[in-house]
Amino acid sequence: MDKSVIYLDHAAATPLDSRVLEAMQPYFSDAFYNPSSPYAPALNVRRAYDAAKQTLAQTIGGRGDELVMTAGATESINLAFTSIGGHVVTANIEHHAVLQVAKHHEHTIVAADEKGIVTAEVIKAAITPATRLVSIGLANNELGTIQPLRDIATAVKTERTKRLERGDMTPIYLHTDASQGAGLIDIHVSRLGVDLLTLNAGKVYGPKQVGLLWAAPHVRLAPQIMGGGQERGLRSGTENVAGTVGFSKAMELADKKRGNEVKRLQQLRDNLQKKLADAFPDAVISGHLKRRLPGHLHISFPGIDAERIVFALEMRGVLVATGSACAANKGTRSHVLTAIGLAPEVADGSLRLTLGQLSTQENTDQAAAIIIEEIIKERQRANA
Amino acid sequence: MTKVYVGMSGGVDSSLTAALLVEQGYDVTGVYMKNWTQDLPGMKCPWADDLADAKRVAVQLGIDFKVFDFENEYKHKVVDYMIDEYKLGRTPNPDIMCNQEVKFKLFLEAALEDGADMIATGHYARVDSGKLKMAADENKDQTYFLYRVTGEALRKTLFPLGEFTKPEVREMAEARGLFTAGKKDSQGICFVGQIGIREFLTQYVEQKPGAIIDKHTGKVLGRHDGAIFYTLGQRHGLDLGGGLPYYVVGKNMDKNEVYVTTDLNDSALWSGNVALESVHWINSQPGEGTYKIRIRHRAVLEEATLFFKDNAVRLVLAHEQRAVAPGQSVVIYDNDTVLGGGIIASAGSQV
Repeated sequence: MDKSVIYLDHAAATPLDSRVLEAMQPYFSDAFYNPSSPYAPALNVRRAYDAAKQTLAQTIGGRGDELVMTAGATESINLAFTSIGGHVVTANIEHHAVLQVAKHHEHTIVAADEKGIVTAEVIKAAITPATRLVSIGLANNELGTIQPLRDIATAVKTERTKRLERGDMTPIYLHTDASQGAGLIDIHVSRLGVDLLTLNAGKVYGPKQVGLLWAAPHVRLAPQIMGGGQERGLRSGTENVAGTVGFSKAMELADKKRGNEVKRLQQLRDNLQKKLADAFPDAVISGHLKRRLPGHLHISFPGIDAERIVFALEMRGVLVATGSACAANKGTRSHVLTAIGLAPEVADGSLRLTLGQLSTQENTDQAAAIIIEEIIKERQRANA
Repeated sequence: MTKVYVGMSGGVDSSLTAALLVEQGYDVTGVYMKNWTQDLPGMKCPWADDLADAKRVAVQLGIDFKVFDFENEYKHKVVDYMIDEYKLGRTPNPDIMCNQEVKFKLFLEAALEDGADMIATGHYARVDSGKLKMAADENKDQTYFLYRVTGEALRKTLFPLGEFTKPEVREMAEARGLFTAGKKDSQGICFVGQIGIREFLTQYVEQKPGAIIDKHTGKVLGRHDGAIFYTLGQRHGLDLGGGLPYYVVGKNMDKNEVYVTTDLNDSALWSGNVALESVHWINSQPGEGTYKIRIRHRAVLEEATLFFKDNAVRLVLAHEQRAVAPGQSVVIYDNDTVLGGGIIASAGSQV
């Protein structure tokens, strides 16, 4: 990436860590073998692949053979939903990857509160005797809000116990798409209390189109992609060895530095937030101020056309996301901001600023100054 | 300060148009006309990207930017018109209809309503006190598409690119660092894009197999999936195998038959006499006499004599032209000024 560019969109994509790239490299060339081939060099590739899955599993407190490697998070979510079937409960702030799949099932979409939190109470109220799956993302991709998954898990467990007591064998599982939180918050599956978990390498400085679905041993998955029977028959197709090795390396690295990185990002984010809020007293910060991803800032400047700011910032080398409508999204307002009841003129002035490994004190300060300048300029132009 | 609303499509031409007007001291507002957003099989409609590009350039120029939504009107006035014409066995020109009904009518009206004094577009044409004139770049001149615009509309229109050639426009866009300077020109009818009119039409009209018949022998040479898809003079797409190329010389919409010939000199392919309908004069009706005409975009200007006879408008061409297809437009020029034109009702070799 151009060194002069300031990247503030880590929630959309993260740059591949050089150590991840290094770990992946051999599997494109020297160790290109098909892991299913019978000779020793291929067997070594198979071992490396299994070891990578084992490492990945360890970062979430699972076992390697409980993982199904997929081409990204969307496929993982599809596999989870389609395997379980039945009535599903999810929330109105979920990612399209969840909401669109939910539409193919009998579903209840619960409402998040105005801070973007999905409470265990609304989940409990939405569960019916036919509910087989509850799916709530660990952290919201727009607001950065971290959900009370353990409370939700308790609600699901209570329902499960009730069913067993009355001899009802209908299973009920909790799934979470943890793509946005991985590397930043604890995603240990037993501590979260989930039965299924989705991850995406592309969000943790690993390669894109690499993801996984972890499912607890008591969960029965059904394959969506048929063929040679790889991944215990649950996801056929020659294994993406390089991608999986890279994913594993990325998760390992994230795990190691998590404590310090979280503190660092939080500080940078809080500084950035303070600078912008001080400069614009009418700015609105959305999401939960405490239960929020450390590098995440969703901020709205009422009356401003955020997309103009995105383009103006782009010309000055600062890359940010609009927090809501943008032409590339066909002009539709963000369903998340509508869900939390943000007024249209506030929603349309939203920026999503997400810090990460490329963020430094220096470039974040620089970005703050440029953002302030451009917003002042835009307000002057609009009022002229 | 004169307030000008510029139609910005997200392409290099309209981007530079806006930039030039800003430099010339106008109070400029960029407007993206949202006319068509539907994806077609195998083709993603690029409207959202185009809109983003237009807006990006507007931000770069520091001008206001708006989106005017004409999607319903465009569907009715341009797309439906085109489909209906094809169903009648004719070959319409939707770009001409778009200029007449959308850009120089709806857009003009909406802009004036919104406070504009004038509109501007990135067309290669010149306007001189309500008169439409050919662009300096003969190769790029777009007056063929503009002949149905009114003089009244032209008096409120600016064409800043009329004096420049396309390479100059790219260069100027480049020099100004406009984001769209290197963007590829769009091809063909805007909403049909690269997939071709045939694929587009199959979305709207049923494919009906019929015979391709040799005009001279009466022999059935092959099958087609609808006479509607064929145009007089068409050479490609007949799929009749090797040998000499075949040309469409006629069709019978009732019988769903297409007639072809290998004889490029076949009299049915050539017309010297054209009857016009839906005639439109930009300012006033000219007198009878000899003018220059063009039967398709970028065609060489040909000499023709204009007659008014029993309420009909006729042209007698100095040289017979190939493939003068009903539904297409003939544009009439007096030197470099566009007088107007009409839609070909019928054409033949006899006067």
